[in-house]
Amino acid sequence: MSLRIQQSGKAERKPAVETNVKEEGRYLYCIVEARERVSLGEIGIEGKEVYTLPYEDICAVVHNCPAQPYRSDDHELVEAWVITHQKVVEAAWGRWGVVLPLSFDTIVKGETADSVEQNLKIWLEQEYQNLKMKMERVRGKAEYGVQVFWDLRLAAQDLTETSPEIKKLDEEIKTKPRGLAYMYRQKLENLIKKGMETKADECFKDFYLRIRKHAHDVHVEKTKNTEPGWQMILNLSCLVHKDKCRELGEELDSINQLKGFSVRFTGPWPPYSFVGSA
Amino acid sequence: MRATMEPTRSCHATLVDLLDRVLDKGLIIHADIIISVAGVPLIGVNLSAALAGMETMLQYGLMKDWDECIRSQETEHRRALMATGSREAIAQTNLASVQR
Repeated sequence: MSLRIQQSGKAERKPAVETNVKEEGRYLYCIVEARERVSLGEIGIEGKEVYTLPYEDICAVVHNCPAQPYRSDDHELVEAWVITHQKVVEAAWGRWGVVLPLSFDTIVKGETADSVEQNLKIWLEQEYQNLKMKMERVRGKAEYGVQVFWDLRLAAQDLTETSPEIKKLDEEIKTKPRGLAYMYRQKLENLIKKGMETKADECFKDFYLRIRKHAHDVHVEKTKNTEPGWQMILNLSCLVHKDKCRELGEELDSINQLKGFSVRFTGPWPPYSFVGSA
Repeated sequence: MRATMEPTRSCHATLVDLLDRVLDKGLIIHADIIISVAGVPLIGVNLSAALAGMETMLQYGLMKDWDECIRSQETEHRRALMATGSREAIAQTNLASVQR
């Protein structure tokens, strides 16, 4: 049976009947350590009832849906879906303690309600060891986001004051005629650029090692810049043991106190960055 | 007592952090029982890019190569993780990226 993926530009998710998709789906929120089939209530995406599907001592947390992905061009709608996804994962995390969160829009399919549950159980059975291993890895831990920014203006200023080469060039420019001064200024800008790259690299290494000490595991994430004048020089996801969170907070506070640096510390998150694939 | 930073989860400030995680991360299942969106641009990628805003320091030309280098090392590190599943491999690649 072939599956058509709905890609309408409309805000609402199209009902499955319109595309003749007869397949059943189970939207997957997370895998938890539990044995019973229980309901978590109507807390799912679009008010769907969320419940557990057990295999041995692990359960998939799911809701029933047609076998087609949730997609929409309406950002607010998608945001609401994503926030609900997170809330369900949080609820399961709070209740069962260990959670392997799934990415948004992971849907298991099957031809009938029975076969979709069967498919999911077979998958849980096949992946059992792998999933248990992942659970051990994140047990008693939470994910934290750590981002370090530096003030670009201060960083450039600091560099101009401390680098003899740049300082000398800066002085020389003042004595040059206009045309020549322009070329010198370009040279100066390049030197500052290079100097700042080197400095940012050094800061990255220093901060990374300081943060790494307090974490069980660390992933380096892509840096991105959202605040004018500030540049993100480090973006980490850290898997941190509950007992170590305070230590990490102290380390980050000392980085945050450095002149021209600012730290963002977010969490605790379910361990999204530390569950990999299955 | 030493000063410490408390992690924040306040709703608006961390929406981007949340989207980054829920859309781009989490357990990925490679099995044919999963509805595939392969080949179709994922909602998440477009959305998180739009929300993060593409205000970057590219005008300074800074960090681009550096960032790409770190990213490629990160990909290697993930491969190592998938291949061996061992923490040692991850620790070594992490260290390598720092001592580079």
